[in-house]
Formats: sequence, structure tokens, C-alpha cells
Amino acid sequence: MDKQYFLDRFKVTVPQLEQLAGTSLSHGGDYADLYFEHTVYKDLLLRDNEVSSGGYHIDYGVGIRVLKGDKTGYAYSENTEMPDMICAAKAAAQIAQSNVLPDGRTYRVDASMAIGTKQEPQDMPDFYPAEKMWRDSKTSEFIAVLKKLEAMIFARDSRVLKVIAKLAWSESEIMMYNSFGELACDFRPIGSLVVSVIFSEHGKNENKTSSRSFRAGAEMISDNLLEEMASEVVSGIDARFQAIRPKGGRMPVVMGAGASGILLHEAMGHSFEADFNRKGQSIFAGMTGKQICSPSISIVDDGTLAGNRGACNFDDEGVRGQKTYMVKDGVLASYLHDRISARWYGLPSTGNGRRESFRFYPIPRMRATYMENGQASRDDLISSVKKGIYVDEFSNGQVKIGEGDFTFYVKSGFLIENGHLTAPVTDINIIGNGPQALADITAVADDLKIDNGTWTCGKDQNVPVSCGIPTVLVKSLTVGGEQF
Amino acid sequence: MDKKEKNNIIKEKNLTGLISEKEKSLALFCIEAARRHGAEQARVSLSKSVLDTFSMLNGELDKVSHSADRSIFLYVFADKKYGTFSTNMLDERELERFTAQAVESVKMLAEDPFRKLPDPSRTASDASTGRELGLYDEAYESISSEDRLHIAENECIFSRIKSGECNSCTGNRAGMPGECKFTVISEECEYSDSVDDNFVADSQGFSGRHTETSFAVCSEITIEAGGKKYSGYWWDSSPFLDGLQKGKCSQEALKRAASQAGPKRHKGGQFFMVVDRSVSSRLISPVISALNAASIQQESSFLKDSLGKKMFSDGFTLLDLARTTGKPGSRLFDTEGVSTCDMDIIRDGIVKTWFINTYMASKMDMAPTSEGVSRPVLQTYYGTEPSSENSRAGDFGAAEMMSRCGSGIYVTGFNGGNCNPTTGNFSYGIEGFAFKKGKIIHPVKEMVITGNMLELWNRLVFAGNDARPCTRWQIPSLCFENVDFSA
Repeated sequence: MDKQYFLDRFKVTVPQLEQLAGTSLSHGGDYADLYFEHTVYKDLLLRDNEVSSGGYHIDYGVGIRVLKGDKTGYAYSENTEMPDMICAAKAAAQIAQSNVLPDGRTYRVDASMAIGTKQEPQDMPDFYPAEKMWRDSKTSEFIAVLKKLEAMIFARDSRVLKVIAKLAWSESEIMMYNSFGELACDFRPIGSLVVSVIFSEHGKNENKTSSRSFRAGAEMISDNLLEEMASEVVSGIDARFQAIRPKGGRMPVVMGAGASGILLHEAMGHSFEADFNRKGQSIFAGMTGKQICSPSISIVDDGTLAGNRGACNFDDEGVRGQKTYMVKDGVLASYLHDRISARWYGLPSTGNGRRESFRFYPIPRMRATYMENGQASRDDLISSVKKGIYVDEFSNGQVKIGEGDFTFYVKSGFLIENGHLTAPVTDINIIGNGPQALADITAVADDLKIDNGTWTCGKDQNVPVSCGIPTVLVKSLTVGGEQF
Repeated sequence: MDKKEKNNIIKEKNLTGLISEKEKSLALFCIEAARRHGAEQARVSLSKSVLDTFSMLNGELDKVSHSADRSIFLYVFADKKYGTFSTNMLDERELERFTAQAVESVKMLAEDPFRKLPDPSRTASDASTGRELGLYDEAYESISSEDRLHIAENECIFSRIKSGECNSCTGNRAGMPGECKFTVISEECEYSDSVDDNFVADSQGFSGRHTETSFAVCSEITIEAGGKKYSGYWWDSSPFLDGLQKGKCSQEALKRAASQAGPKRHKGGQFFMVVDRSVSSRLISPVISALNAASIQQESSFLKDSLGKKMFSDGFTLLDLARTTGKPGSRLFDTEGVSTCDMDIIRDGIVKTWFINTYMASKMDMAPTSEGVSRPVLQTYYGTEPSSENSRAGDFGAAEMMSRCGSGIYVTGFNGGNCNPTTGNFSYGIEGFAFKKGKIIHPVKEMVITGNMLELWNRLVFAGNDARPCTRWQIPSLCFENVDFSA
């Protein structure tokens, strides 16, 4: 990255960055960082057969964070004029002096451990393979793309009633500077294409959605991608119209490869985020090094999958992107750390300090979370279930960190009866307990698939993530359904 | 920091928290520039806000943050085409470039003859100062960092629990029998205050302003009991500092955490469901979304063809009271600048209003209403039994409903789930308690409710009178019959 380009973009010099860091630490803070961001976001929407709305949005500013021990002061400025940045730095610096109240009482500040160390310079791979800049592409090209996608969908199924398609992209220029004197720059492209289709059959309507998102340039839009999405969004619509609500209760659940990775994200990933563990709130707190599931299971959070929505050249604290085993051969290997939790645990950061924008301070967040392949086959897993459910499409999920209870919403799946997929099911919820579900995974197939949909994690702040999993069998989960 | 320095900071903060005349002129400049670059019509929305947050962890200050935002949204109508644009780079040279690009971008899009500004007769003319609804508390101007810290600190009970001073946490498990022995793992408390100022103007001469302050406290407590962890959360907020219920959140959060200890699996089946007022809005949200004209026009609403029809039970009456002075959620105009009014959304189960903005009104050839709900208020419903006539005085909340139903599930939280907007089919994870003979008997674990929104609201048995004053959506405790629970 051309650092001078970024310095010019944000109208600052290295001596000014040093001055800002100095001001930030002027009240006794032990670490400070600055996060500069310039993001341009554009979107186009096709609705009622026309691309008739769209827009672009510009966001620019700098966030300044001061740490004293594990305490955080944060402020930001929406311009990068020195007086305004100095003002923000002073506001953030308050945290360091606020350990003394007006009445003389003090707050605990444990700054005895260093907040990481300066990273050694090394060649950096680029995990965002952008060959064609979005900003250099013409709007007319993208309008044609949306119209083409719509035509493909209408051509595939006569029951298509409405198509809504949205193409959105953003390019963020990020510059990070910290009180070690480290300057990191990152250019982050991301594009997403989402299509939602309403089908009508005998007066009944159903909807299906397909999406793709990559940290890549405009080359991600290709005829192959459009074909893939058009096929995906119409496939399975017969089942959707025929789908039933199963009788609810506890039963074996076979989770299809790909999007079922939400199980890992909700049920396990959040509980591995180190802020929850540092505070003792997570159900996995204090369990590092312990066997928590079958030795055949390894779970990864990975910022190094090139082009993946969760890829990070650097996290938002300037720590290099990396691959982190949360569970290795069934043993809890690592939490997901930002600088604060890493210091607290006396470990290096795992590069999971992420934030939505310069308006937010970074916290431990997932990137691309997936389970590595096992050795069974998908068919073996399904045929081993006498009465249960197979699920393969999801819309969202949630977890209670302390209890470990999670739910996720199933858009489609099938009943399993005597080892065979039978009646399609839809609009049900699956609920379970993270550690229990993990321990209840009795077989893992060899068909790992990363789901490249528009997954966004909403833990306080929205960040792009992805998930993946091979087909797995969970021996017992609670499935919502009708009772009679 | 001496007093003079502190006052200077306060003065600076106030200057940045409210929209200045210069900033208003920048917003109006965008309209003028858009017209100059070829737009027939334009609307601009300038938003400015300041948010200060003091967060405590286990009784100690953990995070301090100061957020100051301002941004301009520009809505451009050019050559029968339409686009929306925003920027937070607010100097005149940048805005000139921004506006020129916006108009140029709009011209690339397809024509949409239905896009236009609202008829000027529909826009509000009574929102010039931003303070007409009495949602701005001048006490905000003088609150200091020390004040904020003290409010946050006073929410905390962690050290009192650890020292044995506070004993409110034992024994009381939402009225359940038996003591609950637990250890408090963590307490996170937060105090925040904010000012939000919004100025909207359009090329037809409309201008309006809405200004409000907000003060909020919240607490989340995690406990360990019987080797398992449970968390409880509670919050309060008010447009006024004096209206904020201070110093009570942690007590309530702890009570809620402790009440969940020792959950038991409950058999599945069809039961009465009493929904606590703190989470009942979750069940009204899909109904309000389904009344949005954009969803209806796109055939993705389970309430299409519902206008003027009886879709729900007699007891379901939902109003939009947008113009209630001093209450959260009230506003005099919507994002189009259209004047709000108090109105029926659903009356005795009959759908009275779809939310139809100017665009959708043109497209659907219908009269416009409002673009969306402002302050929905669900009316109390005492049920159909004659005995219910006798109990109209006093509080009508979850406890009274459980007493009347006898047995069922009392839902105090939703954990994930979704509602299919096209069909109304839903499935939500729930947390709460089993109750029998009107009394809570134990917390339940891993339960899911499944059903259809139309059917659910036709099974409404009671709607309470206990909506929390601090919420924008005034939805009280609710009770439904024959709800499908899986476990």
C-alpha cells in the first residue's frame, strides 16, 4: 500500500499523527490508536422491472481510542482538521484521568501488562483480489447486470411474480496509526448482489432469496454468478409451496453443508469471543485447553480466505489477518482476541479486533467461521437417522452468551424418515445449547462448503462475516413446530 | 480540569449538538445546487447528534465514549428519475461536487414517473423550532462528565453485593418458591445521553425541524447458579433527565437473572401465552411491517387485500398517536415532511390504515397516508368474560392475566426467530416461565413458539394497560390462547 496516498487522502502527516497520539496519551493512557476511514458506498435497486432507484453515500472521519489498562476512552471526528482531531483525542484521553473522581476515590487501572508489541515488518498477502475497481465501472454496466439477472429468473419459472434485485458495493480506504508508531493502510472493497423473488401459485405467494458477497472488485459480477444465483433462487420453490410445519420436539438434526455454519457462529463462535470470556460471562470461560467435543471436530475463524466476506488484511486495530483455531481436535484451543483481551490473557492478538466504522471502537468479532472436514459422507449421515430433520437454508440466529442457548431460523429443509428425505419443511426455529450441541455432533461429513451469502453479524455493531460447515449430524435439538 | 475549562467544553458540546444557522444554510444550498444541476425537485435532511456514554464494569469505569455526528441526506428527482445520496463531508465545495454527482447519477437510472415530492398541502407547517413537541430537555445543556459518571456509578450494585451490603438478590425469584444461591459473575451498567436534531427542507418550500434529548440507563448482570450462567437485562430511558428512573436497573437485571436459575424442560403443547410488556412489541412488529404499502405492492405482505377488512380479533385495537407532547416517538412530520396525525391503524380487529407514502400512493393509485408508524399504542382489552368488567380499575398486567388464565407459559424474552413476511408464518425461541393456578412455578428452557401472525392475533385474549412509559412503542403485556409451544 502506498502510505503517502493514504496520508494525503486524510490530509495528515506522520508528525501530526505522532502529535495526536501524544495528545491522546497526555492524561496517562498507555496506548492510543487512530483509525481513519473514507468509505464510498453505492447501490442500485431493480424493482418492478426497472432499475429506478439507487444512490451513493460517503462516510469520512477518524476514531481515536485511548486505553489505560483494559479501560477504553473513545471519540471521533468527522473531519481530519487538526484542531478537531485534537479535540477528539482530548475527549478520548479522559478515560485515563477518570480513575480519580472529584471526591478523591480511585478506580482500578491495571496497566501492568503491555498492550502487545510492535509487529515485525513482513510481506503482506492481499486477501482482497480486486482486479477491477468498482469506482472505475460504469453504472450502465451494472444496470444491465440487474436486468439480465431478472430476465434469467423470469425465464426459469412461470410462477415468478416479482423480482427485487440489489447490487451494492463499497470501497473503504483505511489508515491506522498507533502509539507504537505503526502505520497500517488497507483498501477494502466489498460487493454484494441480493435477489429476492416472489412466486405465486394458486393464489398463494412464497418468497426465496439468493445472495453473494465478496471482498473483491467488480470482476465478481460475471455471467456464471448470475446463472448460479438465478438457478439457486428458483430451485426448491416446489418444495417451498408444499412445505409443512413438522410436529415439533427434540429430534436428530442433520445440518446441510454451507449455510448451517450459522450454528458455529451463533452457538459457539460468540461464546469464544474473548471479551465475554475476560468478563467471565461466556459459558466457555475458563475452558481453554479442555476437551469440549469429539476429537474429530476442528473449528476455525479465518481472516485469510482470499475474497471472502470475512477476510481481513488487517483487523481494525492494525493487527495482521490470520487464521485462528478455536477448537482443534475437540479441544478449546483459543478465544478470539482483540488487543485488550489479548493483553488481559497475556497472549498475542488473534486479529479479531473489528469495528463497523470509525464511529465505533473495536471489539472481538468473528471473520469467516467454519468447521473443517470430517470423514463421513452426507448420505451416510442422512441414512443413519430414523426420524429427524434435515435443514439447509437459514435466515438468522441469536445466542445468549452466558447460558449458551441459541436459536436459528430455518427457511427450508426436509423431514428425515427411515433414512430418507421426505416432506419439505419451512419457517421453523431450532433451539439448543451451544456446548451441548457441540458435544452432540456425532458425525461430520467431508463436504465443507463456505457460504458466500451476505452474512452480517450484529453484536453491538454490524460487520461482514461468513460461515461454513460440512454436513453434520447433531443427535438432538429442539425443533419448533405444530403440536396437532 | 477547572470550572472554566469544563464550561468551555460544555459550550463547545452544545454548539456541536444542535444544528446551526450555517449548517441549515448548507442544507438549503444542496437543494439550490441540485436544482442548478438539473433536478426538478429535491429534498434534504440534515441530521446532527451527540451521544455521550459512560460504561461501568463490575462497579468500575470501563469505557467513556463521545460521539458527534452530522450528515446530509439528499433526495433527488430529475428527469422523472430518483436517487438518494448522503455525505458527512459538509463544506460548501464538497457539497457542490457531491450534489453535481448526485444529479448526474440519478440521470443514469430508469424513469419512474411515480416519484415526486409530497403535495405541499400535506407537509407540516407547525415544526419550525424543533421543540414544539416538548421533547428537548434543557437540563441536557448543563450535564457534566462528573454528573454522567455519578449516574452510571449509582446504577452499580456489584460492590454492594460482594460486600454483602445488598441482599435484594436472594430469595426473590419472580415470586417463585425457594431460595436461589448464586454468585454474581459480572455487572455491566451504562448511562448515556444524547441530543438529536433533524432539519428537513424541500424545493417546494417546506422546512421542518425536530429536536429531542434522550437519557438512558441500562444494566446487564450475569450470575452463576448450580454451575450454570444466567443473565438478566433491564433498562430505562426518558426524553427528560428528571424522568429517568435512576438506580434501579441493576436490581431488576439481577432479579431477572436469578429468576432464570434452574430451568426445566416443559412438555410441548398448546397453551395460554402471556407475554411480558418488556418484549411484547416483538409480536406487533411483523403486523406493522405487513401494513407497509411497499410490502403490499410487492406482494410480500400477509396483509395484502386487508384494508377495511376484519383480519383480527375484536380486542385488537392499535392507534398511532404521533402528536402526543413530551412522549418518546412523537413527531410532527415524517421523513417526507408530511404532517403526522393521530389515527387508527387497527380498530376492533379491522384494518383501518396502510402506510402509504407519496411514491406508493402514486404507484398504487391510492390516497397517501403516512410513510410509517410513529408512536403505536395498543389499546387495553379486558377480554370477553362478563367478570372482566369488574376488574377494569387498577393495573392490568402479566400477573393478572396469569391469574385469569390459570396455567400456561409466561414469556419474558424472545431468543432469535423470524416471521415470514409473505405468509405470516413465524417461529421464535422464547424464555420465560411455566405458570399454574396463576402462579409461576419454574423457568422453562429451550422452548419455541410456532404459528401464523393472523391466527395468533385472532387468539388475543387480553391486552394490558401496563405499557412502559419509556418506550416509543406503547405495547402492554399480552395474552393469547392455544399457542403452539415446542420443547
